[in-house]
Amino acid sequence: MAAIAETIAAVATPPGQGGIGIVRLSGPEAKAIGEGIVGGALVPRRVKFAEFKNQTGNMLDEGLVLYFVAPRSFTGEDVVELQGHGGPVVMQLLLDETVNRGARLARPGEFTERAFLNGKIDLAQAEAVADLIGSSSRAAARGALRSLKGDFSKAVFDLDQQVLQLRVYMEAAMDFPDEEVDFLNGGQVVARLGEIHEGLNLLLRGSTQGILLNDGITVAILGAPNVGKSSLLNVLSGEERAIVTDIPGTTRDLLHVDLTLQGLPIRIVDTAGLSDSRDPVEVEGVRRAEQQAVEADLVLWVSEAGREEIRVWPGSDNTIRVANKVDLTELEAGLAQRPDGQSHVLVSAKTGAGIDALRAHILEKAGFAGDASTFTARKRHLLALEEAMAALQRGQTLIAENLQTELVAEELRIVHEALGTIAGVVSADDLLGEIFANFCIGK
Amino acid sequence: MPARNLRKPRVNVSQRQTAKHSGKRFSTMNAPEQFDVIVIGAGHAGCEAATAAARIGARTLLLTQSIETIGQMSCNPAIGGMGKSHLVREIDALDGIMARAADRAGIHFRVLNASKGPAVRATRAQADRALYRQAIRSLLEAQDGLWIFQQSVVDLLVDDGCVTGVETQMGLTLSAPAVVLTTGTFLGGKIHMGLNNFAGGRAGDAPSNQLAERLRSLPFRVDRLKTGTPPRIDGRTVDFSVMESQPGDEPLPCISFLGDVGDHPRQVACHITHTNVETHRIIRAALDRSPLYSGVIQGVGPRYCPSIEDKVVRFADRLQHQIFVEPEGLQTRELYPNGISTSLPMDVQVALVRSIEGFENAHITRPGYAIEYDFFNPKDLKYSLETKALEGLFFAGQINGTTGYEEAAAQGLLAGANAAWKVAGREPWCPRRDEAYLGVLVDDLINLGTNEPYRMFTSRAEYRLRLREDNADVRLTPLGRKLGLVGEVRWRSYCHKRKLVDELAHVLGKRVLSPGSELATTLETATGERISKEGSMLGFLKRPGITLSGLLDSLSSDLDSVLPELAGVGREVLDQVEVEAKYEGYIKRQEGEIARVRRNENIRIPAALDYAAVKGLSNELREKLLVSRPETLAKASRIPGMTPAALSVLLIYIKKLSVVAQGLEKLQLPPTAADASG
Repeated sequence: MAAIAETIAAVATPPGQGGIGIVRLSGPEAKAIGEGIVGGALVPRRVKFAEFKNQTGNMLDEGLVLYFVAPRSFTGEDVVELQGHGGPVVMQLLLDETVNRGARLARPGEFTERAFLNGKIDLAQAEAVADLIGSSSRAAARGALRSLKGDFSKAVFDLDQQVLQLRVYMEAAMDFPDEEVDFLNGGQVVARLGEIHEGLNLLLRGSTQGILLNDGITVAILGAPNVGKSSLLNVLSGEERAIVTDIPGTTRDLLHVDLTLQGLPIRIVDTAGLSDSRDPVEVEGVRRAEQQAVEADLVLWVSEAGREEIRVWPGSDNTIRVANKVDLTELEAGLAQRPDGQSHVLVSAKTGAGIDALRAHILEKAGFAGDASTFTARKRHLLALEEAMAALQRGQTLIAENLQTELVAEELRIVHEALGTIAGVVSADDLLGEIFANFCIGK
Repeated sequence: MPARNLRKPRVNVSQRQTAKHSGKRFSTMNAPEQFDVIVIGAGHAGCEAATAAARIGARTLLLTQSIETIGQMSCNPAIGGMGKSHLVREIDALDGIMARAADRAGIHFRVLNASKGPAVRATRAQADRALYRQAIRSLLEAQDGLWIFQQSVVDLLVDDGCVTGVETQMGLTLSAPAVVLTTGTFLGGKIHMGLNNFAGGRAGDAPSNQLAERLRSLPFRVDRLKTGTPPRIDGRTVDFSVMESQPGDEPLPCISFLGDVGDHPRQVACHITHTNVETHRIIRAALDRSPLYSGVIQGVGPRYCPSIEDKVVRFADRLQHQIFVEPEGLQTRELYPNGISTSLPMDVQVALVRSIEGFENAHITRPGYAIEYDFFNPKDLKYSLETKALEGLFFAGQINGTTGYEEAAAQGLLAGANAAWKVAGREPWCPRRDEAYLGVLVDDLINLGTNEPYRMFTSRAEYRLRLREDNADVRLTPLGRKLGLVGEVRWRSYCHKRKLVDELAHVLGKRVLSPGSELATTLETATGERISKEGSMLGFLKRPGITLSGLLDSLSSDLDSVLPELAGVGREVLDQVEVEAKYEGYIKRQEGEIARVRRNENIRIPAALDYAAVKGLSNELREKLLVSRPETLAKASRIPGMTPAALSVLLIYIKKLSVVAQGLEKLQLPPTAADASG
């Protein structure tokens, strides 16, 4: 296999302050660049302690250097790893130095891509590896591992087989009209469509979970000033301190906190209180808050328990109404029905009352069911499953309207092809083979 | 017409020819010594090939072992049926002869799947064998530029990798720069009846073994296939009163777009009977004398056309199997009992036939038999049906591993047309899968090959909803006109019909249907549908269960007052307007799919690709790719078992090769495997 000429470099450890930071090089020039930086010869598979210097001889860092010779490396090419003291500045300097010496900055996933191109891993593994690396929570990582083991493929394959069996009946009914077999009644088309629907639904839910786990959701806290939005943010993020990082937003008025709820990564965005002020700064703050509400997956609309809402929020499907400061009233904390029929969650950010109910409600609204049956599906898998589901439902409608068999068959073909993009394609000849294996057909 | 163009390459060939071959020349008839296209074999493929080439303007010679058997139906006497009638309509749309002959010879017509939708609707005709032969022969004889000559071919003349003509058994040398070989099962044919076997073509005809030997010496991959026929029965010894009678359809359909019910001869009924437990016992007891089950026959038989011994063994729990009793013709009492194809010995055939209800006293007129024959691996063909190994040599029909008159005829038309075009120095026509069943047929054969006689089914066509019987003319006649295949009469008839269809669709699209109007009320009463929103009449037609012909029937008296547009319009036009309206949404959706596939059609796989070097492919898929060496990614995607992941691997590898080759900076990974699979 022809080699790719370029040598690529990237920081291989997560950004931020860490104990160790690694710059990884892969490609034909990796050894030469590495030797230039450490100022000495590299021996394969031998760990060496060295000073990392730039071309003018200034020391950038010191640490360990490792060298793997092609093809016995992760990418299948020559690979050099420079393990330094971490820290974004040092890592950047070290990375710049590799570029000065002839490397090119790697595109995201390019190491994995080279590993794949050199036959070190197959495509499914490459995807799962990318998911593992990119997974933002432990639950997502477990989902990726399940997919690596093939649980997802197996589930899709089982469904694919069900569709195949039904198509066998449908296609036989059309291609062999002279046979004395009642293919359509014998095939129990309606019942089978129902079963496939159910199976597809389960798969879709599992995959949606997987994608939720990978991508997480964004929750915006909105409300009038002084209803306790910030305290709510604090109490929500309080549980899992260890993985909470406060990062100031791009403007003073937006603050977000990343946390996980039962494994689901959530970014909570606090916004400026929505007031009717004419102050231009506040007007801009309100505009941004409303923009956040549009972009967020969920909106927590916060007001004060037992008080008239100062400002009415139009609300939508993705709004959770939160009545804070329940401790100042006689009301009971938790999910409750309001007199106007809307449900709201009564909480106290101060005492923590009702917060668990709010967390549960957030997970429910996000469509998250825990990670018991999730798969790390790729977006394309989800799209394929959705396409299959849409076609299946059209097919069910056609049957209900007693429409022509060939149209139902067309929808089933689309279901089958959509699943085939995950499970592998079943050819028309395979389908015919199944027909001949199942029925005594032909003259 | 391109006849003038056809002369140029002929001269060169002729000079080469004269120098090389000193055999007798063909100058005994009032025919040219030099032809543009020679067609060998006058079965269903040969007859369409010869007429297609001649229609395009090539001077064409049709060679047959026997003029008496031109257009012979060597298996069951029927034309059409599922998938097959679709091919016949396509042949007809290209002005071929099969559909017209079937209309003249059909003595029993049925429309299959009438209720399952227009795309799977298929017409089938039982044909009188003698009338069919006559019809074909007279259509051949009416063709300008076509000469028929009775002579066995013993050799192909080849010069520098190009075919230059043929040599016949008399030692005659016939020259042409293009030769279409349509020799069916005549090549290396071996007939089995019980444990006896002998060399032969169809029962009674001689096999073409000399030519078979010659072809085997050329670089084609040759394999064996098997097929069979049932014993024929004398109708005078059959009791029809105990059988179920199956009359033909009323109103009588036509197969050809130009057909007229007046073309049909007298109509007769078919009958249905069944095998029984006793029949099955007889067969089981004789399996040790079956060439199939004793290992004498090595060829692979078709899965969809099993012998009765196969059915009894494989589906042992079935208590009976259906038999269609088809008349062989109007002038004979001979019957074709479709469903009991067998190669068991004669005494067993007699016993099994007489165990069947209605056949208790039956006299067998011809024994059933199995035949093994050579076919050439169709993967050695180009999409034009020209062989890759010998320039100017085209293969069509059963020789390519197909079965069925219709499959053969369709290939014949394509090969004949492309042979004529080649001689004229033009690009071949290679129909696409989304264009015609003919495209599906050729693509399947060339891309996948076959290990059983290939028969068309509608389920093979992924774009089935587009490839209907009713629109074969819309799909192909304008193209056929451009290719020089479609004559004046058909073209005018097509344009006329198309004009009526477009006009009616236009009028109905403009006809407003508002709730409460007289028209709306009348339609509501007639159909039970509710019209609550304003829309067009064409929109109303898209509703499930609404048909124009249904409306005609239920509105009959009010028609002139409420829908004068429909008065006097032919059913064919009504049906076409209706189907086009109803299927518009589906067709549009498929067009998106077709566009995606065409993108992959443009991604070429280098012919010399080293599949061993492509990492990440399973061994099984690597084998398949090595065998079929698909030319494009789209073709690779149609290999059975191909996965999107494997296609991505291929795509990435191809891109990488071209990146390395062109020294390009960037290697683009496909965003998703789904994109790569289209």
